[in-house]
Amino acid sequence: MPSARKPMRYGHSEGHTEVCFDDTGSCIVTCGSDGDVRIWENLDDDDPKSINVGEKAYSCALKNGRLITAVSNNTVQIHTFPEGAPDGILTRFTMHANHVTFSSGGTKIAAGSSDFMIKVVEVTDSSKQKTFRGHEAPVLSLSFDPKDVYLASASCDGSVRVWKIEDQTCTTSWQLLQKCNDVINAKSICRLGWQPGTGKLLAVPVDKVVKLYRRETWDSQLDLSDASITLPLNVVAWSPCGQYLAAGSVDGSIVVWNVETQECIERMKHEKNYSICGLAWHPKYKQVAYTDTEGNLGLLENVGVVEKPKDKVASAVAKDYNDLFDGDDDDYFNGDMVEPQSSPNPAADEDDDGDLMLTSGRPRRAIIDEDDNSLDIGLIKASSSLLEKEEDGDDQTGGFSALPPSSTQQHFYDGPMPTPKQRPFQSGSTPAHLMHRFMVWNSVGIIRCYNDEQDNAIDVEFHDTSVHHATHLPNSLNHTMADLSAEAILLACEGTEELASKLHCIHFGSWDANKEWTVDMPKDEDIEAICLGQGWAACATSAFLVRVFTVGGVQREIFSLPGPVVSMAGHGEQLMIIYHRGTGFDGDQCLGVQLMELGKKKRQILHGDPLSLTRKSYLVWVGFSAEGTPCYVDSEGIVRMLNRGLGNTWIPVCNTREQCKGKSDHYWVVGIHENPQQLRCIPCKGSRFPPTLPRPAVAILPFQLPYCQVTTEKGQMEEQYWRSVVFQNHVDYLSKNGYEFDESAKNQAVKEQQELLMKLFALSCKLEREFRCVELADLMAPNVVSLAIKYASRSRRINLAQRLSQLAVEKATELATAQGDEEEEEEEEEEDFRKHLSAGYSSSATEWGQLPVRNVQQDQEVEDAEETDACEEAEETPEVHKQRPNPFSKGVTSAEVTTPKSAVLGSSSSQGRVNPFKVSSNKKDPVVPSANVLDTMSRYSKKTSLSGSRAVNKQNPPVIKPLIPKPKSKQASATSFFQPRTLTPNPSEKAVEEREGKAVEEREGKAVEDGEGKAGNESHEVKVTAQENTENRRPRTGFQMWLEENRANILTDNPDLNEAEVIKEGMSRFRMLTSEERMVWTEKAKGGAVNGLAEDKKRKRPTADEGEGRRSQEEKSEDTNASKKSKPLDQSTNGRLSAFAFKQS
Amino acid sequence: MEPAEVEFLAEKELVTIVPNFSLDRIHLIGGDLGPFNPGLPVEVPVWLAINLKQRQKCRLIPPEWMDVGKLEEIRDQERKEDTFTPMPSPYYMELTKLLLNYASDNIPKADEIRTLVKDTWDTRMAKLRLSADSFVRQQEAHAKLDNLTLMEINTTGTFLTQALDHMYKLRTNLQPGESAHSQDF
Repeated sequence: MPSARKPMRYGHSEGHTEVCFDDTGSCIVTCGSDGDVRIWENLDDDDPKSINVGEKAYSCALKNGRLITAVSNNTVQIHTFPEGAPDGILTRFTMHANHVTFSSGGTKIAAGSSDFMIKVVEVTDSSKQKTFRGHEAPVLSLSFDPKDVYLASASCDGSVRVWKIEDQTCTTSWQLLQKCNDVINAKSICRLGWQPGTGKLLAVPVDKVVKLYRRETWDSQLDLSDASITLPLNVVAWSPCGQYLAAGSVDGSIVVWNVETQECIERMKHEKNYSICGLAWHPKYKQVAYTDTEGNLGLLENVGVVEKPKDKVASAVAKDYNDLFDGDDDDYFNGDMVEPQSSPNPAADEDDDGDLMLTSGRPRRAIIDEDDNSLDIGLIKASSSLLEKEEDGDDQTGGFSALPPSSTQQHFYDGPMPTPKQRPFQSGSTPAHLMHRFMVWNSVGIIRCYNDEQDNAIDVEFHDTSVHHATHLPNSLNHTMADLSAEAILLACEGTEELASKLHCIHFGSWDANKEWTVDMPKDEDIEAICLGQGWAACATSAFLVRVFTVGGVQREIFSLPGPVVSMAGHGEQLMIIYHRGTGFDGDQCLGVQLMELGKKKRQILHGDPLSLTRKSYLVWVGFSAEGTPCYVDSEGIVRMLNRGLGNTWIPVCNTREQCKGKSDHYWVVGIHENPQQLRCIPCKGSRFPPTLPRPAVAILPFQLPYCQVTTEKGQMEEQYWRSVVFQNHVDYLSKNGYEFDESAKNQAVKEQQELLMKLFALSCKLEREFRCVELADLMAPNVVSLAIKYASRSRRINLAQRLSQLAVEKATELATAQGDEEEEEEEEEEDFRKHLSAGYSSSATEWGQLPVRNVQQDQEVEDAEETDACEEAEETPEVHKQRPNPFSKGVTSAEVTTPKSAVLGSSSSQGRVNPFKVSSNKKDPVVPSANVLDTMSRYSKKTSLSGSRAVNKQNPPVIKPLIPKPKSKQASATSFFQPRTLTPNPSEKAVEEREGKAVEEREGKAVEDGEGKAGNESHEVKVTAQENTENRRPRTGFQMWLEENRANILTDNPDLNEAEVIKEGMSRFRMLTSEERMVWTEKAKGGAVNGLAEDKKRKRPTADEGEGRRSQEEKSEDTNASKKSKPLDQSTNGRLSAFAFKQS
Repeated sequence: MEPAEVEFLAEKELVTIVPNFSLDRIHLIGGDLGPFNPGLPVEVPVWLAINLKQRQKCRLIPPEWMDVGKLEEIRDQERKEDTFTPMPSPYYMELTKLLLNYASDNIPKADEIRTLVKDTWDTRMAKLRLSADSFVRQQEAHAKLDNLTLMEINTTGTFLTQALDHMYKLRTNLQPGESAHSQDF
């Protein structure tokens, strides 16, 4: 028979309580923090006798009709028992006593107080006191040696001491406990106890074990421990016979050992896991009364009814009990068998209930979470890993009842345990067992499912009502899966006995009258996950198959999956499938991901790569960002995104749990946008998913990459830079795949990145980290490098400037190589382009488009000069003050002058509407040259951000608009930094020119009107820059000149090279040259370029004279205008730059 | 001031809506609004919210204080105290009326809210009358009332001032009444 546990009852208000039996065992006496001592006839006594002893009672002890209590007025009092009449004060302390105890004879009491003192007082004569000093912290507990020779005490100072009562000396002391400053902070109240009778052993609860010390020798005889004890023990209590020892822990476990055999004979878990703070054995029966810190009183009956017949000693000692428990021996076995399974882990029971309620086979973790049972999760997590394993094993084997009974100790396989496999799910859905649930919530709309007595229906609602009106569908087939796109609703149900699993599509985007179609799966094949893309639908089935359909219902591809599907997501022509790659262990899932494109080019991008998940987490959301980058979220709230810029790796972009206020709060992700960077999700208080009613509201979270030291300026900027880079990857992807994308947003991002680099550069400069500066410059675009050079030379870092100029030259040559490689392609394109021309455009149109450009060119020269002066002025001003107030913002300022050009270009061309009420528009605001240049900066960013957000709206509903594939995509991406315009998906460059020509013409007019209007000036200039870019795509570089001269050499060396290879070879040879030699060539090229220009009518480069003039002007002042240098792709500029740097040295 | 004018002022208050259409940022004299993304909450003035709601272009998210629990607390507080307690919004009455009239389907427990706000309003009006009464009785020269909203001031302001004028006239006419009489003759 196991111990019978009676349900606990309320004893006192919450707080420390203590319990004892009276001498005969006829009643239980408790005291609590409400200051009452209650006398209970038995546990069911609803009308206990209460004696008020003070404001708070800390401890009580009862013997020989005397009740002593330690109360909050720092006294130890006597009351008569059972009358409860006050009988005087025994002793006083300067702080309240924590524990009082009687000696075995009942003649003396010992009290230990928070004032570090212990007193032993004669009960009959309170003047006979003995004081024990030595503890250095509040005394926790005391125990009299049954022979009245020693007194043991435990204290917050961490020591357990044994005192000789006679002379009040400390016989021995052990440093066993953790030190603390007060009783309330103590991990354990450490109620120790001498073995009754002989007093041979002293039991001390130390952390998770009970240490037994032998009398006189004071050595540790043995430790009593048990696997079910996971937290420190609070109390020990000896049975009156001295054979058993009970211990209670702070998490509510009560364990009873047979001290002789060290066998654990009883394990009990408090029903609510409150800390046990009082334990007392019944003087006759095998009962243990216990109290917890919440003031509840409980009773265990028939504890440790063991007495095996052969156990002579035990039976001898426990003779008294034998008659009571005769014939119980067999039951004991049963009891013990059952006990270890249920008692250490009550959560398992609850889980099993959960299993019954829900569809079976659902993984445990999922059930717990879906039931919102956050308490249980915490509990399970808190329990030891051993228990967790046991629990998992439980799931695997289908319960222990089938196993042969065993002894108390677990006997399982002790290695890593397999994790139950996560069940398939639809992204953005709430659990299927709910009566009202979301079947899907995505960026298109919401599908809700109602499944109650009256109705079984599906509600479809679109965020944008212009897509489709809201619909209400009956759900007779009991659909459990759904997906929604801007052209169709896809529903699916699992098969039943009679009915096959069905895929049901409502293609509301169809232009004919038949909007619906249904497909039955083959027998015994159930649909487990579905998704919609653009023009196609897909489902994954239990037969590990993925079936692709057109949105109209034609069956398309079919392929096998390597494992059971977890979830699918579609976007455009991309399909992402996540499946079980294998079995995970110890709570981890083992998932794989396939990403494929189902468009014209059918190809697989991710070939079943392992999916990175946080430890012990599972997948909760899979999908694409609005721009088409795969993302997923795991149960720990980490959002990861595919980083196409780094070999298709996954990068964590957000931790939603960091944003949560409460521990059990979660964010339920519904969508991800890369531009602007938004994580759309629904905050859920105390659960993982939202209820359907009241209607949840969407919140927006920012992204943050987990970079180190983001509190510092450096870390912050690094994080920003890389985040910007990561979130810009989609642009390259879209352009590569011939989608339309937002040019201005991209330029904005590029600008932001370069600005951040420049800031970082300036910061490193300030910190004298020159090597780091060079590293940063390596990341910069060439035009920004020139700025960096300038910054370096201005801050008198000549060495740095030199290195940077080398870097700039290298970059330029690299660029030239890249161009050289593309030469051939270009030529082909040129032909193409001519064909286009002759086919589509009249030559007059081209001419017309050209004409204004020339004027502009000249104008620009003048304006350039003006601006140079202006800038010189502006930059000289701080120079005069000798100390620049903020070199940091300085760098930004100059960055502003050059980098944003492309951005302005993008925005001005895309900005259809401007705010008519905005006064701060750049156009009407001529900037005084010497004014703070930062002003323009802020204005710029304002303007561009505005245009950025415009673009967003245009993209919404986003992106998927296939275009005529661009012939030059490769080059475009390669040189995208420098030639933003070539990225526009225009088939002919001429068209660009023409349009720009017009734009420039218009702008010119305005610029003239505005006179010195800087804004006009600048955008104007930008236009021209772009113009130059398109026209002088390949100015003659030093390398090219060199190549021409050395081509023969190369060809003789390697006669079988084709053109591309020749260039490559030439490139490598050119690189071998010293920088001086290269410089010579660059210089030459400059001269040559002028000649070339003179010949070529189309090339409207500044003439040699102008160029020279400008250069001399620049050389006159050290503060040259950076903007001019930064002319993208201008080789001569780079040459001049380097020359400049050399001159510096 | 007319109540309609007060209501007009109240319409400038911002509320959150969830639009079901996509629109770029709109530039108005009072400031920029939007951008509107379907399904994404955005803050707009009440007048626009009501307009959009009437055209079924949005769903309204009620202000935080428009919640039965909070309003009950406010009502009880208002009843308990002798003075005026601060209201959750300076235009609580107007907003309640406007939002409940036009968007009651988006506000859970609209009827209860209406009753609660009306209760609060009635309590406050009673207090206002009481204080006006004692003001007149004690013939005070000035009084100070905190936490009154514009609408509440408006209900009593004109009447009270005019009444005081009249009373003043009546009082002053008592003594120099003779001369007035004499003029008649």
